[in-house]
Amino acid sequence: MPSAFSVQIFQQSLLFLIGATALAFALAPILTTILYKYKILRKAEFDYTLQGERGVKAGTPVMGGLLVIFVILIITMLFNWDRRYTYVPIGAMAISALLGAADDLLNVFGGKRRLRNIKHSLILIRIHQKWYMKIWHAVTLPWTAFRELTSIFGSKQDRGIQTHEKLFLQFVAGAITAWWVYSKLGQNWHTLWIPFDGSVDVGWLIIPIIIFFVMFTANAVNIADGLDGLVGGSLIMAFLGLAILSWMEGRTAFTPFNMTVIGALIAYTYFNVKPARFQMGDVGSLGLGTLLAINAIAINKTLLLPLLGFIFYIEIFSVILQVFFRRLLGRRLFKMAPLHHHLELIGWNEEKIVMRFWIIQAFVVIVAVWIALR
Amino acid sequence: MLSPLAEKLIDEYFNLPFPGVTGVRCPYFNNIRKRSRGQLRALVGKGTPKEIVEESKIISTQYRLGIFENDCSVCKQNLTPDDIRKFMIDHDLGIECSGFVSQVLRAHYRELKGVDFARKIYIYPPSKFLRYLISILRPIENINVQILADDRNSVAVNLGEAASGDIITMLDTHPTKKINHVMLIRDVKDGKIQYVHARTWSSEGKYGHGVMNGTIEIIFPKDNLMAQLWTEKNCNGEQNETFIEAKRAKLLQIRRLKI
Repeated sequence: MPSAFSVQIFQQSLLFLIGATALAFALAPILTTILYKYKILRKAEFDYTLQGERGVKAGTPVMGGLLVIFVILIITMLFNWDRRYTYVPIGAMAISALLGAADDLLNVFGGKRRLRNIKHSLILIRIHQKWYMKIWHAVTLPWTAFRELTSIFGSKQDRGIQTHEKLFLQFVAGAITAWWVYSKLGQNWHTLWIPFDGSVDVGWLIIPIIIFFVMFTANAVNIADGLDGLVGGSLIMAFLGLAILSWMEGRTAFTPFNMTVIGALIAYTYFNVKPARFQMGDVGSLGLGTLLAINAIAINKTLLLPLLGFIFYIEIFSVILQVFFRRLLGRRLFKMAPLHHHLELIGWNEEKIVMRFWIIQAFVVIVAVWIALR
Repeated sequence: MLSPLAEKLIDEYFNLPFPGVTGVRCPYFNNIRKRSRGQLRALVGKGTPKEIVEESKIISTQYRLGIFENDCSVCKQNLTPDDIRKFMIDHDLGIECSGFVSQVLRAHYRELKGVDFARKIYIYPPSKFLRYLISILRPIENINVQILADDRNSVAVNLGEAASGDIITMLDTHPTKKINHVMLIRDVKDGKIQYVHARTWSSEGKYGHGVMNGTIEIIFPKDNLMAQLWTEKNCNGEQNETFIEAKRAKLLQIRRLKI
């Protein structure tokens, strides 16, 4: 059994990285051709962020994240398939990626969705001619209420998968992960590692903690995916941090697994830097956000996630703060949320934002590794 | 005279700080028809000039409406103040009467007495807990004409005692709907009350309304407000819709805030 800092694991993991990069570079042109052929492209008329200089992004293929997802799936299933360790992360990533893919496709090809509000539902319960429709509207009333509640956190959507549906499916992905960690990985995973303070046994409470982090991180990565190269480059650093931590702890499955993700992301980011050949889409951002959370949880570094995914967490907190200021105080904290849009509106160009975010992310990941070593 | 800060704010409402275009008078907007809840101050007719301009910028940028150049630093060159006012009215941007008076008085008392007017006003009692909590978080949005005219916040004064910073309140100006109006006295000199308010006149059509100055010339000092000569936009008597509104009001008073 290889131990911590094993050269053997390191060499093997580098091979995974190189293989994943090579495979991703080979698949990228094929994917680009398919995306163009089926016109899975970003449409300006549905996207209010595509103005000014950003207007050139209209017509760029979306769902480029499929490249990373496919490469991770192929390499892991062929060379790193471990029923105890890798199949659940892969499964949860696949569920989130499928959800993201459905959203991407509905955004491109789907029509406008008719969405009822509570008031509308209450009227239908009262006046609908068919009794079974009255029951249907009554039964689905809590779901409608949930939709209205979640709509305050998002911008107005009338296409694709709605916020409340995303949250539900992300909850399922989080619940699967929590079940896996709690019941399959063993007693060691019932403890929560606390930076500078060892570990604390949290028992079943690990389940809601895991669900929260999986959902939060997936959405954080999704929200940050707004500028060319931003998410790709930042994820490389986040997974590099995870790879170093797994290697330091001698985790034979997770070190090559994280290196595979880095390899795929290197090729993806090569094509995604401005001007992007394709964009990640929800398929990539939700899938990889979920994977980032699970891989941190799996090596018991859950509480390092806000540092390992620093840029993503900053971006999602900017949205939460903006909603708080807007709804409670009646004013904006940022000109626009998430943070990268605010920086664009105050005059920073896209390259400057992306480069600075990469540098910040790299530095904070180094801090995270340092904290883990303490 | 109002404080210099309050005067500056009034000037900004008459000449909104749109970069590159001067003379954009702030239009009137009242949220009563739209009934947006939990919205930004500028989107419910209670914003400051800067907030209103900022929101115009963001709406123009978000929906690519071509009011600003791509970098948002300046308005497009060929735009006139009327174009911008039309854009604002079409997108529910503007100020309503109590919002305007509250913002100006806030600036006035901040400079004059160092107090936040919005925090000194009685809005809701703690027994109405949720409303009370909301009014603490968003006082300006919760101040309306009735609250300004409440005896706990202001006291009625005689015509002869009217001074700058006083308000003219008109309660129940419509036979069936609950409509109130408030105007702010800017100055009193040479037997004339100079007021400023945010209002809409039916004769001005969809795009003519907004903040406006007017005067009440005191020609019968011993009589009430309605007996005086109201002039606004060179209109007197029945042509002056503000006068008509005042005439319809069940209660018309000059009130001084207890700050």
